[in-house]
Amino acid sequence: MRPTRHPGARPGFLRGVALSIRPVFALAAVVLGLAACDRLMTTAPSSGDLFDAPLTGLSAAELAAFAEGDAQFGLAFAPAAGLGPIFNNVSCASCHSGDGRGRPENALTRFSRSGDPVRELGGPQLQDRAIPGAEAETVPEGVETSLRLPPPVFGVGLIEAIPEADILAYADESDADQDGISGRPNYVTPPDFLPAHGGGVPVVGRFSRKAQVASILQQTVEAYHQDMGITTDFITDDNHNPLASGATVAADRVADPELATASVLAVVAYLRMLAPPEPGPMTPGRIRGRAMFDQVQCGSCHVPSFETGTSSIPALRNRTAQLYSDLLLHDMGEGLADGRPDGQANGREWRTTPLWGLRIMREFLKGQVFLMHDGRARSVDQAIRLHGGEADSARIRFEALPSADRAALIDFVESR
Amino acid sequence: MRFARESLRRGMRSLVAGITCIACLHCASVEAQHADTIAASEPPPFVAGGYDDKPHLRGLFGRIAVGGYAELHALWQREDGATDDAGFLLKRWNLLTSTRVSDHVHVWAEVEIEEGGEEVRLELAQMDFLCHPRLNLRGGMLLLPLGRFNLAHDSPRNEFTDRPLVATDLIGTALAMPGLGMFGRFGAGATGSATYELYAVNGFDGGIIDASSDGTRLTEGGVNVEDNNASPAVVARTAWMPAEGSEFGLSAFTGAYNRFRIEGLDVDERRSVRIGSIDARTRLLGLEWNGEAAAVEVDVPPGLGGIYASRQSGFFVESRRVFGRRWIPSMPAASFSAGARVEGVDFDRDLAGDSRIQLTGGLHFRPTPETVFKLDYARSRSRDRFHNPAEGAALKFSLTSYF
Repeated sequence: MRPTRHPGARPGFLRGVALSIRPVFALAAVVLGLAACDRLMTTAPSSGDLFDAPLTGLSAAELAAFAEGDAQFGLAFAPAAGLGPIFNNVSCASCHSGDGRGRPENALTRFSRSGDPVRELGGPQLQDRAIPGAEAETVPEGVETSLRLPPPVFGVGLIEAIPEADILAYADESDADQDGISGRPNYVTPPDFLPAHGGGVPVVGRFSRKAQVASILQQTVEAYHQDMGITTDFITDDNHNPLASGATVAADRVADPELATASVLAVVAYLRMLAPPEPGPMTPGRIRGRAMFDQVQCGSCHVPSFETGTSSIPALRNRTAQLYSDLLLHDMGEGLADGRPDGQANGREWRTTPLWGLRIMREFLKGQVFLMHDGRARSVDQAIRLHGGEADSARIRFEALPSADRAALIDFVESR
Repeated sequence: MRFARESLRRGMRSLVAGITCIACLHCASVEAQHADTIAASEPPPFVAGGYDDKPHLRGLFGRIAVGGYAELHALWQREDGATDDAGFLLKRWNLLTSTRVSDHVHVWAEVEIEEGGEEVRLELAQMDFLCHPRLNLRGGMLLLPLGRFNLAHDSPRNEFTDRPLVATDLIGTALAMPGLGMFGRFGAGATGSATYELYAVNGFDGGIIDASSDGTRLTEGGVNVEDNNASPAVVARTAWMPAEGSEFGLSAFTGAYNRFRIEGLDVDERRSVRIGSIDARTRLLGLEWNGEAAAVEVDVPPGLGGIYASRQSGFFVESRRVFGRRWIPSMPAASFSAGARVEGVDFDRDLAGDSRIQLTGGLHFRPTPETVFKLDYARSRSRDRFHNPAEGAALKFSLTSYF
């Protein structure tokens, strides 16, 4: 039976339609092929290989908060959005590469005079950039300066959740055990804008190069204020260059506070929930390196792990934090001294830097390594050899190791 | 001395007036000849695919032609394995008008409604006083002759779903500013021709720095509807069209962007934007080629050095081949095309990062020349200011049509 033609249909129309369907099928096949081939749409790296992955065990609501905080962390400020008047960089992410450590180009300069933060001269931090109409700061004469590389921000929630008593258990200010290591806490008085820590009672500082900061909220608020010139409900006044003309104070025309409290708290929550990268597998070489790490007694200060205590975030409770730090201050010798006190830390003391994340640090710094507080060490080997003061004997033991053992130790450290 | 200066000034005024009169008389006589020529053969469009190359606008009622184009996107894009975006977007709905008020006055306008109405703006509103093919006046909201793509970017003409990065992220297509100037053409027809456009415009404003959170971005300072600094910018393009389908252009822009003088007081240094661009389209090896490259220099305030870029650049090269013209008997005007584009944009040439490169391949179906179905796959690698890479991929389907 011949198919009946629709009245009015042109000759060849059906054939035309049939042919016209072919490309539709072809297009559909291409779409389905692409959709099926997940790799073509990029794949996610392992969360353990990132600095900005969330902790495991977070709830959906916590992950939503994490995502919001991530966006705020990456938010860059323009002058019209409140940047400045004086500042160092435009966003949190601009200093912390992939949420890891920074580079010498975005290192901060802190300065003071005999422990005095010389706020009348623009201290304690140099803001070397300014929006149009404002004047950037320059280092005044007669002050001690200290270059500070931005530290990684992952794992800070775990650090904050470590019970104070556990940190103090490693303190040995008078070196009672006579091992040459005399770590001590940097007791800091929280600023007034931290109601949870108010009352002027000193607490153990845990963050920043000299452990001069006690909480993530304080670090975040002060970074917004000092590094970006962003005012918040916690610090409502803009940071001005005190040596500039008084007429330039009107350069920042954005009403204060420039950032909502909700945004600050979102960043704080995000930072708390950032997981540290996973350490690499323990190969036979690394097992040997771990043994060398113990033999040289690196772990006297680089304490392998702490257990966290209570936290408002369940995923932070009772977790093992493999940070390789005692979070205490140590005299690191004249070679590393910046001569600049910070809180109770003197000019020769530095907080033991956590070693976690060294495994993937190169991936976020164009294959390069910048270690120590100012990035002067370009390898782990060089960093160890720069250790002095309390770490002098450990350095000597390291240098005395056969080269293969030194390499194994370095491989172990770089796998953390 | 004062008398001598006054005499010189009067002499100059007389000279200018005389030249103007002669030019007008010359224009009038040549225009009469030109009108005859027009009747014999329509000149090619000033810019292929540009404001005067919209076939659907022709032959409508009276002296006013109305039309436009619409563009729908369906997209799925990812970055580093995480789905960034998946959905539909009415990207544009543009309304075009063309009015031939007289033989000498032609008014063009285009209103753009973007992203479902989130942004409505006057993209083009130019009044042409047609005097002579070689010298015409133009004023209004002008599409800046800064690369051919900014002048000819209609989606039904654009081969791919997305406009090139150099146009969207660097130049800010469609970049239009109030201005006044002249344009003209030398030669015509198969022997080839050359065109020029030269305008004074408001230029960019301080938004390229003040309003941009991603560093220097021209796209944040292009809406300078009311001049901000009493210092016009100059933009020009010259193009050579040796044959139909081939065009080679050279463009430049220079002008201050910041407010450096207020009520006669010098309140800041004069800071400028300088842009250079080359563009080309031609047929070669059986393929149609199209490309553009642009370089930008911005005088950045010293307090923002190291963060806001002073040098940027971008480029794209795309090629396509049309096939299957008679594959569908019921659609005799239908055709297919396959194309590929490679492009890049470097937002800070003094930095290793802050850049993006992208490769796009596409298969496109035109049931008629005015309507296009596009299916594109794009793969990109962007780097942040630390040089950290992020891999991106996008699958885009779009439907766009003139109306």
